[in-house]
Formats: sequence, C-alpha cells, structure tokens
Amino acid sequence: MKIMHRSSAMFLAALLLGSCATQPPTVSAGRIEAILAGAYPDATAEQKRRSVQDDAQKLCSKAVAQPLNPEEAVKVVESSRASIKYPASDKLSGDWKIGEKLAQDGYGLRLLPGGGGDVIPNRANGANCYACHTLDPKEVNAGNLGVNLSGFGLARGNTPETQKYAYDKVYNAWAFFPCSQMPRMGANGFLTPEQITHVVAFLLDPASPVNKK
Amino acid sequence: MHSTTRIALVTALVAIPASLFAQAGRIDEELAKGRAMLAADNPGELWELKGSKLFYEKRGPKNASLEQCDLGQGPGRLEGAFAQLPRYFADTGRVQDMESRLLSCMVELQGFQEADLKKNAFSTLSRNSDMEALATFVAAKSNGMKLAAPLAHEKEREMYAAGEKIFFRRNGPMDFACTTCHDDTAGKRIRLQDLPNMNDPKEIQGVMSTWPAYRGTQSTVRTMQHRLFDCNWQMRLPPLGYVSDFSIALTTYLTQKAAGGMIEVPGSKR
Repeated sequence: MKIMHRSSAMFLAALLLGSCATQPPTVSAGRIEAILAGAYPDATAEQKRRSVQDDAQKLCSKAVAQPLNPEEAVKVVESSRASIKYPASDKLSGDWKIGEKLAQDGYGLRLLPGGGGDVIPNRANGANCYACHTLDPKEVNAGNLGVNLSGFGLARGNTPETQKYAYDKVYNAWAFFPCSQMPRMGANGFLTPEQITHVVAFLLDPASPVNKK
Repeated sequence: MHSTTRIALVTALVAIPASLFAQAGRIDEELAKGRAMLAADNPGELWELKGSKLFYEKRGPKNASLEQCDLGQGPGRLEGAFAQLPRYFADTGRVQDMESRLLSCMVELQGFQEADLKKNAFSTLSRNSDMEALATFVAAKSNGMKLAAPLAHEKEREMYAAGEKIFFRRNGPMDFACTTCHDDTAGKRIRLQDLPNMNDPKEIQGVMSTWPAYRGTQSTVRTMQHRLFDCNWQMRLPPLGYVSDFSIALTTYLTQKAAGGMIEVPGSKR
C-alpha cells in the first residue's frame, strides 16, 4: 500500500513536470536522426554522406554557452594535427600568382537539384579566401569574417618555418584553434596539397601583393 | 628611447587602425545606401496581388479555391495566421510552417500532386511559382502584427529543440553550421554581403518578419523555405527537401527567437 502511494505521487510529480512550461524544450537523439535522414530526399547516398559528422565536427557543434572542455580541445587538436598531409615534392611554397587566383575563386562543391551546381568537369575547387579575409590591401571586395591577412609575410618572414605554419593552418586550422570557424581546407579534401602550396606563396612571398603596401 | 621616437611610435600605432576603421566605415555606409535604394522600389507587391487571385480562384483537379484552407485560425481566416506559424496541426499530426500548410491545402482541397507542388515551389527564369505568390499574399495578411508562434504543444517544443541543435551543427566539406555566418557576427561580412547576427534580437526579428521578400539578384520573390535552401547550397550540403522537417525545425527555432518582430511583407533584399 505504501509503495503504491509513493509511485502514484511520483507519477503525479512527473505529470506536473511534463506540463510545466518553464522546462526547456527537448528532442530525442532518435528524432534528430530521423529529421536529418529526411532533410535531403533528392540526394544520392554519396551526397548525403556530406551531412554525416566526423568526431571533430561533433565536438565542435556544441552551443556557444557550452565551450569545449580541455580534454575535448586536446582531442580536436591532436586528430587535426594527425590529418595533415604534405605534397610529394615537400616544397611547401608554390606560385603566388596561382595562389592569388585561388584566393579569388569561390567555385566548388555546391549542389543543386537535378544534378546542377558546381559541376564543370575537371574544374578544381577555389580557395575563396577573399570571402572572409582581406589579403591584397588594394582588393576592396573582401569579407571580414576572418582576420585581416594583409602583410602576413612582412610580419613573419618567408622562412621554412613560416611556410610550414601557413601550410598547416590552411590544411587544418583546427590543429591550432580547435573548432575555429575556418574550414579545414586540406583535411576535408576541398583543396589539394599542391593548391595549398600556392596559397602559402600568396601569403608569404615578398613579391605577392599581400606583402605590398 | 628618446621621447620624440616614443611619441612617433605611439602616433603610428594609433593612426594606422584609425584609418583602417575609417575605410571600413565608408564601405558600410555605401553598402547601406545601396540597400536603401533597393528597398524604396519593391516590386514584391505584384506577387501579393497574384497570390490573392490564386487563393480565391477555383483550380486543380478538384476545381476548388483555397477559401476553406485552415492556416491555424480556422478555415479561410487569414488575418494574423502567418503571425502564429509554425504551429502544430492535429489533422496532419505535424508542426507546419506557412508554406507546408499551404501545400497541404493545395493537395487536400484542390487535388494537386504533392510531388509536383514541391518540384515547382521555387520559380526559375522560365517558370513562375504559385507558392511564391500565395505565400506573399498570406503572410501580408499579418502585416503590422507581431511574430507570436505558439510553443505549448509537445511537438512544437520538440521542433524548437531540433532546430536549435541543427543551428549549431557543423557538417559538410566546409565545416559550416548556421552559426558560422549568423552567430555573434555583428558587423561581419562575406565579401561585401553583411551577415545578420541571429543572436541579436533586433536583427533576427528583422530577418524573420520580412520573408517572403523580393530578391533583386534573383528578380523574384523568395520565401523562408528558399532562404534555407539557399543557405544549405552555400554550405555545400545536398539540396534541402522542400518543407522537410529539417527546414521546419529551423524555422520554428528562428521564429521563436524572433518573437515580437513586426511583420512587414514582402521584404526587399539583395
């Protein structure tokens, strides 16, 4: 009798809690999965895989109010460091003129229904640096979501060390700043290692407009 | 160090950022002027008129109008309906936004095929969209009212929570989430396009209360569903399903965050 009494009281409490409007809204993991699974009805299986998160993306999806704890941050940094691959030549700085074209070029990987989008055969992705960064100080059409990179090479010098730093940073920014807004251009296969060497040259070469006043 | 050198150094340090700020300020000013010029001449009202005609016209395999469509305030009651969407509808068992609900009505009342309606929801250069006109007409019936979607039903609360999760979810080959461009982004731009900061109550109200909107770059009225489709495209994700639960979860979350925003439709955008 006593047990019955307690369980019915708990039931009542649960009912009250359930109807209480001050409880924050919740959603089950299963329901989220179902919503995600239904988001892209016309996509191929390969396209749908783009929305599947890797471990680092999962850790970087927390609300702003809940930053990464130190262990999580270390995990993201370490896996990001391990992701970095270098070009066969081992030369980390290429041609700044190609790098400049890449920095202006926003082409790559957009998908439209019916097979449209960025689908020009044999066309390589652009690096689209200007979407978020000022580089050549004379280029006005530059975004400001990322830091201003004018004079990047002037401030640091064009050395093997700075070339490796710039290469690694473009390849996988999360190796330095876990969950940075910057896309992991090399690790995600958006840019090839060779393309990244040209971006490095654009950033560091003394002849590059990035390093001219 | 000589004091004159020190003064010169300090002056240089102060002067460089100041000139940079001045340049940034001038760009923002010029961009704002351009936007104001666009807003002053808004052809979106033509879509509103066309929507009114489409709503009352007998159409579809069932040769019926949409006058019996219940957008949440009872059949045919359009005033203030958009202001209280998205909401849960018992007859479909779903949380629905305005476009999803209009689509349900066009299927049930007029007998149109759901797949056709979804395929034709966004106009192209060679084909008009009935939905873009209907959505503009219905939303404009809430002009001057405040966004006040309900959040009492369990399903509405579930969709809100799902939308919040999606808002912060990083994915795709560019690692983007909605937050990449719309969270604490006051004064930030992609190239020269400014980015609304969805953490700022005034900014999110300004966004959610002005769709559908005439988009100058696309020469047509676009809807909230299209705005989300367009974001997904830029995020390099697959084409977003029209009125998918994914899109409605996000719309539910964003509309709640924008509660109180004064509706002014059709908006005018880049």
